[in-house]
Amino acid sequence: MKYTYYPGCSSEGTAISYHHSALEVAKILGLDIKEIDDWNCCGSTVTSSVIGQFAADVLAARNLALAEKMGQEDVVATCSSCYAILGSVNKKFADEKFKTNANDALGKDELSYSGGLNVRMLLDVMVSDVGLETIASKVVKPLKGLKVAGYVGCQTVRALREFDNWENPTFLDDITRTLGAEAVNFSHKLKCCTGAMALSSPDVTISAIYPILKSAHDAGADLIVTPCPLCQMNLDAYQIKVNKIYGTNYNIPVLFFTQLMAIAFGLDRKKAALDYCIVSPNNALAGFGA
Amino acid sequence: MTEAMAKEKATVKYDSQFTKKVYEMENGKWVKMCMQCGICPTTCALKEKMDLSPRRIIQLIRAGRKDEVLQANTMWLCTSCYACACRCPRGVPMMDVMHDLRHLAVENGINHNSQSMAEVYAKDVSKRGRIWEGGLTLNYGLKIGLGNFFKMALDMQDIGKNMMFHRRLTLLPPKGVKNPGKLREVLSRAAEIAKREGAH
Ligand code: SF4
Ligand code: SF4
Repeated sequence: MKYTYYPGCSSEGTAISYHHSALEVAKILGLDIKEIDDWNCCGSTVTSSVIGQFAADVLAARNLALAEKMGQEDVVATCSSCYAILGSVNKKFADEKFKTNANDALGKDELSYSGGLNVRMLLDVMVSDVGLETIASKVVKPLKGLKVAGYVGCQTVRALREFDNWENPTFLDDITRTLGAEAVNFSHKLKCCTGAMALSSPDVTISAIYPILKSAHDAGADLIVTPCPLCQMNLDAYQIKVNKIYGTNYNIPVLFFTQLMAIAFGLDRKKAALDYCIVSPNNALAGFGA
Repeated sequence: MTEAMAKEKATVKYDSQFTKKVYEMENGKWVKMCMQCGICPTTCALKEKMDLSPRRIIQLIRAGRKDEVLQANTMWLCTSCYACACRCPRGVPMMDVMHDLRHLAVENGINHNSQSMAEVYAKDVSKRGRIWEGGLTLNYGLKIGLGNFFKMALDMQDIGKNMMFHRRLTLLPPKGVKNPGKLREVLSRAAEIAKREGAH
């Protein structure tokens, strides 16, 4: 199975653990993924308010043009926001006028895009293409007894609605169970963490993540897993603020689902990129040699 | 109230140019599509904190109530969570409309921390093609003023320290695209095209 890979800016900083663990896990699963050469920022959901929607769309489309130069493979994104942006811009290429205009602009960099690729989310590729059976076959350390809250977040299944059930998603929990762990009943799995607002309005973020952490805690979760860099960062880094403001004592590690896969596949803690976690996962994972 | 005063009040309140302007923006057609069913506010996670609900914003745009719309905090609080877009019977991508409104608010001299962050972000993108998360925080701090920045830094120092300690913020910018000049040409061409097509 071949893919081109769009890492996105967070893979170089705040979500570096996602990037590393995803590549390690992909290797074990026999996924052939090539990073898009010379990719640029997808623009996230914020640039359009500054440079306008069309320019922001073209910015994202440059990546699709570069991916197409590498072949006809599906483009796979790890970040939910990158996936949402690249995927929705990709759809706009079905409109001839949009395509002509976008290619006019891309022509300034000797690029053009036909609109023929698929944009996929790594979580979807894991379940739909690799398959739970193959994932199960690679588990050497079943995570028996570990209670996991699967935090899907908002954009992952809602932005494009092309995989899983967007009102009641199961893919993330399916993976958790395939790794031998228990997926706890987690009522806040789709609630928004407020994303990038954490920097400009931290108080809004803190009040949004408190009920998410509470829900995971009340469900008895040992840790949270997520497929989204912003969800991971907000729940992990701002947990200390929630404790201070709400007088709670939460100590719930927040991992990318690829990190949990890495542990179950028997990879060491370095390959699972555990040291980047702010809330330490050491206690939760102690029984599994991580 | 005299007749003239009443008239003036009415004209201040209703600005048809404003409605037209929003309709002409890239996502303006969606404002026309809304049927005011009220589903979006029931799904919106942040409506409690919003001055006006997403549905009400659309209603007021149509009513030409420029000041109320542009001064609301609503568009700045929209997180692009897509919850409303999923449930909207007309498929209105509310977050895209909100981005157009931010753009318009700034054109009218109304700004918000979110936009300062977005501007710092967009600047980084046009400079290097990729953003540098570490620098983003710093430049944002400079943009909102040193006083505000120190207050924020003090408030957030525990988080910043943790991020640094766990090597989640790089001290130097990661490499950007090979030829950012070309990327800027692409973006300015795109801006020209958008202008030609009547968008902003
Ligand atoms: S996309 Fe924006 S307006 Fe819609 S539900 Fe989410 S926060 Fe509310
Ligand atoms: S859900 Fe859609 S149609 Fe209903 S009020 Fe909101 S935007 Fe309008």
